[in-house]
Amino acid sequence: MSEFLNQFKQLTATGYLFWVLAILALLSAVWVVTARNPIHSVLALIATFFCLSGHYILLNAQFLAAVNIIVYAGAIMVLFLFTIMFLNLRREDEESKTNLTKMAAVVVGGLLMVMLITIFRAKSAQVPTFNPVSFDSRTGLVENLGSILYSDYILPFELASVLFLVAMVGAVMLGKREAGDRHF
Amino acid sequence: MFPIVLLSVFGILLLFLGFLKSRAILLPAALLFLLVSLAVNFIDWNKTYLYFNGMLLSDNLSMVFTAIVLGSAFMVVALSGSFMEDESAQPAEYYGILLFSLVGALMMIGFENLIMLFVGVEILSVAMYVLTGSDKRNLRSNEAALKYFLMGAFTTGIMLFGMALLYGATGSFTLGGIRAYAVNPQVGLSLLFYVGLLMLLIGLLFKVSAAPFHFWTPDVYDGAPTLFTAFMSTVVKTAGFAALFRLLSISFSGVYTFWWTILAIITTLTLVAGNITAVYQNSFKRMMAYSSISHAGYLLIGLAALGQQTKQAIVFYSLAYSVATIAAFGVLLLVARQRNAETITSGGSSSESFDAFNGLARQNPLLGFAMAVSMLSLAGIPLTAGFWGKFYMFSTAVERGQIWLLVVAVLMSAVGIYYYFRVIIAMYFREGATAPIRVAPFYRYVLVVATLLTIGLGIAPGLLEGLF
Amino acid sequence: MNTSYLPSDYLPVLIQLLLALGFIVTTMIVTHSVGPKRKSQKKDDPFECGIPVQGDARTPISIKYFLIAILFVLFDVEVIFLYPWAVNFKGLGLTGFIEMILFMGLLLAGFYYVIRKGVLKWE
Repeated sequence: MSEFLNQFKQLTATGYLFWVLAILALLSAVWVVTARNPIHSVLALIATFFCLSGHYILLNAQFLAAVNIIVYAGAIMVLFLFTIMFLNLRREDEESKTNLTKMAAVVVGGLLMVMLITIFRAKSAQVPTFNPVSFDSRTGLVENLGSILYSDYILPFELASVLFLVAMVGAVMLGKREAGDRHF
Repeated sequence: MFPIVLLSVFGILLLFLGFLKSRAILLPAALLFLLVSLAVNFIDWNKTYLYFNGMLLSDNLSMVFTAIVLGSAFMVVALSGSFMEDESAQPAEYYGILLFSLVGALMMIGFENLIMLFVGVEILSVAMYVLTGSDKRNLRSNEAALKYFLMGAFTTGIMLFGMALLYGATGSFTLGGIRAYAVNPQVGLSLLFYVGLLMLLIGLLFKVSAAPFHFWTPDVYDGAPTLFTAFMSTVVKTAGFAALFRLLSISFSGVYTFWWTILAIITTLTLVAGNITAVYQNSFKRMMAYSSISHAGYLLIGLAALGQQTKQAIVFYSLAYSVATIAAFGVLLLVARQRNAETITSGGSSSESFDAFNGLARQNPLLGFAMAVSMLSLAGIPLTAGFWGKFYMFSTAVERGQIWLLVVAVLMSAVGIYYYFRVIIAMYFREGATAPIRVAPFYRYVLVVATLLTIGLGIAPGLLEGLF
Repeated sequence: MNTSYLPSDYLPVLIQLLLALGFIVTTMIVTHSVGPKRKSQKKDDPFECGIPVQGDARTPISIKYFLIAILFVLFDVEVIFLYPWAVNFKGLGLTGFIEMILFMGLLLAGFYYVIRKGVLKWE
């Protein structure tokens, strides 16, 4: 315990920031799952995304942090809210969540967590720590990302537009109201 | 490479053609586009190219897989004439999405970089989720699409996590880079590498519906419109196995001893689960879903016993399986439509059950024969392509000395004969009041070609050998 | 010029963020505690005057809103790709320009499709 405290005292400002963000992210993630009101779940999910963006910044990946907030916390959460508004929230639907399913979910989730923690703590899973000589703190910045994306990874980038097209056409095909359909 | 570019453009063209008043042009246009893509595929024949900074590989093997995928798509589209009659169908969108999904399939066939694999899998999967739910007023279609989407999205997440771990361990996304790490590790292989490999495998095995990741298959195949079920069970499976083969044979052949036991266990599970459950089905379509699971099992034998013959075995098996499956679904489409029309007037059993085929061969000898040949081929009876497919697969297991895998596979093929013959018995030996079914000429050609191909490859399996 | 780009460089941003949040929180607390409070049935109604409220706000909404939201997300993601491109615009030169035109062209084709389908039309 005292060893842990000593380690804690030696942390830099970044280290403290990491711990605060990590704990916040975990707490809000747990809130997403346990909240009874789905709107609260969405709000907690937004909080989780903001904490993750903080982690991205700590890892020097600013662009990812910005994108995470613009796309996930901004756009995708709007979709989530829309979906929740489609559902009928007045009826209390609890039949699908029996104690057995809850317990099974906890057991499976717990097993996965234990497994992942063991794996990442294992000696043979250590990735080499950073090398101060060759370390380039600008690797994750927009400029480097762009120059790689638009030279080496140009083909997947162009073909991602096909993915967008499929999604677009699919959404229109499934979602468009036909003549004679109900409004909602 | 050329088919990918062309198919992307053709897909958009088809969408725009949908704005025309007349729908009649759509089907010929889609068929023409597929034929053109199939033709340009062979431009690079006998040459090996790496396109776009080593993103995409074009060699004879990938071209053969591309040809199988495009050919299956061509046959499926050729069977789609009924869209034109259905008021609520949106054929332009269906064909457009099918062509886009082929882009994804071709990326999975020729990828040289894990990013390409991921984008390809996503394009193919998203297209399939949409097509599964394309029968908007059918509740079962909606349910199938939702199930497929939720589970598929979850597995995509697992797959992506696996890729990230592989990158963390090896520092490379390219197949060659991962191979170099696996063959010649500096300080021993990282645990992250193994976990990443497993997660990547889980993602791909889900897509080809191998047990124990197969639970979505029966509901999705059953709920989706029959034509798209045919597409899913041929194109998606072929592309998935091409991707698995590339990954395992190039990147991970150095750690064969690690993954072959896992893959062998999954193979056994898939064979047993697919074949045994198929016996208990009353619906033909559901039986075909389990049959597709069992065929994934046979294809996995070649991977679990990875060797010199695997390449040939997988190509031949996917071709034989695709052709027979498309013919079977083609006949089912006609029979189910006829039965639906009858049910409206008289009321009877479900249009997709085994009973629907009672007495089919008397009035419709062509349909009966096409169905019988494809069932024989799927069961692996000699003189059909399916027999040689199974023969090549089993000989890979022999080559590696995995006799117990062979024993399981042979036993399960025997089980398979039971449920495939149920259809043949129903068609030839049961009484049933089936009026002659009107078959459009083009539809007839597709069935005839599929049947001839199955028999031809069964008599002369060496036809393909010189190709790659 | 600062070349190290360390997370600690974000301290000004963090301070700005805290200030903004602090201002909002303080204003909310102060307005709640300082202002007078009158409670009655009429005062607590969502609409103090006008027609009486019927039902509640939880009615299903039209699918059209959702469709527009989905299209918004798709184009939003597309725009994201423009940032790294714009930063590298000079370095990438003409090739980069053509690449982006191709990407945008495919998506504009999709946009044209969406418009022709009448998805954005609001009867």
